[in-house]
Amino acid sequence: MTRLLDVENLTLQFDTDEGRITAVDDVSFTLEQGEVMGLVGESGSGKSVTAKSLMRLNAANAHYSDETRVTLHLEDGPVDVMALKGARALQVVRGGAISMIFQEPMASFAPAITIGDQMVEQLLIHTDMSKARAREVSIEMLERVGIADAAQRFGQYAFELSGGMRQRAMIAMALSTRPKLLIADEPTTALDVTIQAQVIDLMKDLVKEFHMGIIFITHDLGVIAQTADKIAVMYLGRLIEQGPVREVIRNPGHPYTRGLIAALPDLEDLDKPLTPVPGDIPSPLERPTGCVFHTRCTEKVGDICAREVPRFTDVTAGHRAACHIYGQQGGGK
Amino acid sequence: MLQFARFTATRAVLAVLTLLLVSFIVFTLMELVPGDCAERYIAFKNTQGAVITVADIEAERIRLGLDKPYLERWVKWVWGAFQGDFGDSCILRLNIAQLLGDKFKISLGLSLAALVFAYLIAIPVGIYAAVSKNRVVNNILRLVSYLGLALPNFLLALIIMLFATVYFHNSLTGLFSKEFRDAAWSWAKLVDFLKHAWLPVFILGWSATAFAIQTVRALMSDEIGKLYVTAAEARGVSGRRLLMRYPARHALAPIINSLGFDLNRIFNELPVVALILTLTEAGSLLIDALAKSNDQQLAGAIIFLLTGSIVAMNFITDILLAIMDPRVRKSILR
Repeated sequence: MTRLLDVENLTLQFDTDEGRITAVDDVSFTLEQGEVMGLVGESGSGKSVTAKSLMRLNAANAHYSDETRVTLHLEDGPVDVMALKGARALQVVRGGAISMIFQEPMASFAPAITIGDQMVEQLLIHTDMSKARAREVSIEMLERVGIADAAQRFGQYAFELSGGMRQRAMIAMALSTRPKLLIADEPTTALDVTIQAQVIDLMKDLVKEFHMGIIFITHDLGVIAQTADKIAVMYLGRLIEQGPVREVIRNPGHPYTRGLIAALPDLEDLDKPLTPVPGDIPSPLERPTGCVFHTRCTEKVGDICAREVPRFTDVTAGHRAACHIYGQQGGGK
Repeated sequence: MLQFARFTATRAVLAVLTLLLVSFIVFTLMELVPGDCAERYIAFKNTQGAVITVADIEAERIRLGLDKPYLERWVKWVWGAFQGDFGDSCILRLNIAQLLGDKFKISLGLSLAALVFAYLIAIPVGIYAAVSKNRVVNNILRLVSYLGLALPNFLLALIIMLFATVYFHNSLTGLFSKEFRDAAWSWAKLVDFLKHAWLPVFILGWSATAFAIQTVRALMSDEIGKLYVTAAEARGVSGRRLLMRYPARHALAPIINSLGFDLNRIFNELPVVALILTLTEAGSLLIDALAKSNDQQLAGAIIFLLTGSIVAMNFITDILLAIMDPRVRKSILR
């Protein structure tokens, strides 16, 4: 496999009136070409912010630490994303080699510009196609994602399409520039369950066809189990567990991941009470010291949890968790 | 295209219907004033020493057609009004169209100019204020803007006049120089008019600008925060293109929507400014007719012209809105 993305020590803080808030804390992960990674966590865990960092799309009050390294490996050589300066240079990670689709397909199209105009605009920015060629490519893309009457839809506005069709159009637009990495930020959350399945199937097909890496952000472990190769779990801006998707779901190593999986409803036994993760996500202004999860953890080892940030330890080969229960004996349960 | 023509035609018919309804309300209001034109004129004569009998009043009533039924008189009035003929003034006994002359056009022109002035400044400044992260600039803009909202027009007019009189020995009042006052329109008169008109336009535009900056800034901030802007940025759209094509364009629709309302507000402020700058325009004439001389014919004519202008303005903004915003267009055309 060929490496596509290296994220090392990604740390991101926002300047607010209440002070500096840490949104992402020392996150590192890698992605191979054609690999699908599921990024999981509750809302506020920093998964969207992490993904947007790859495109440097966070608000102007965002500060990346000096240790932050994001490297995108393209055919022409590696791109140091944090070193990109100016809108022109950033285009390579904004719609060029990286595309992003969002949770709300309705809200992510400009309401008063046709879908076609927005697609063509993107192609003209990133390629040297003529307008006519960009139009052809866009319509082909719309057909490819299963939109009937693509030429007609091309001239329509987002509000004239159904929810599922809008998300298909969004996917078509994201893929039209043939990106190497696709970031999908809860692309199915706002859709009906039946449409969700269609969109997920479509994305699985496209992964194979376009051979791109995908970062799939969701809080839906079911979707992840179906689509992803590996999974990364975030909590309060920290990565707390990562590994192959089946391995992590069958044998979760971190108490938080165990809680997340236990909180899923059991279709076999509908009378079984749900077991939510106890407590609430602390306010970002009151970040716990030590392990960020210790305030809600039911498997605390001792004072060390509130004192020291746990390091990643191998649970099994390629499956790592950051928890002090592994720290003392050097791995294993 | 055919659909669009149909839409325009529908809107035009609606505008005329609105105007008819308005004319009916205006006419009814004119009738509600105690006494009629005949009584008022005769009473006016009486104060000048003429001896008046009840028979004189009746004769006058018949002469003016006031004995006819209400609806018939309304139809007659509206028919005239749509052709620009508002009959005679009750008190002055002059044809209202002649009496008004260019005054209404001047009022409307000044108000429209103030409106254009306001948005020419407010749109770029408001966009800049919404985008800029510069706190100092933003605070200065806010201060100036609040000053514009808080400082009454008449006070601003008085301050400017005071300075002009003391330092330039020119009170800057009126709309025409002496030699042009009764002259026919010519290039020279127009130039002279423009030389005078900038001050009322500036004063009227002052508070309108302050108001409009706040509106534009709020609408723009609102749009900038929306997901489609982030999504466009994620596709590589940047800089001025991102700003103008995405949030600015989408913030424009509600601004266009409020233009009719703005025009009305500016027109309402005109009489006070006109009083201080001694301008001869229709707004002050209206207040005169309403409050002093009770000249219901004249007041009705001016109110009708004013509402007519606002209806026309709304018609234009509706069309503009449909051109700008496909959601409006499609919802009406369906």
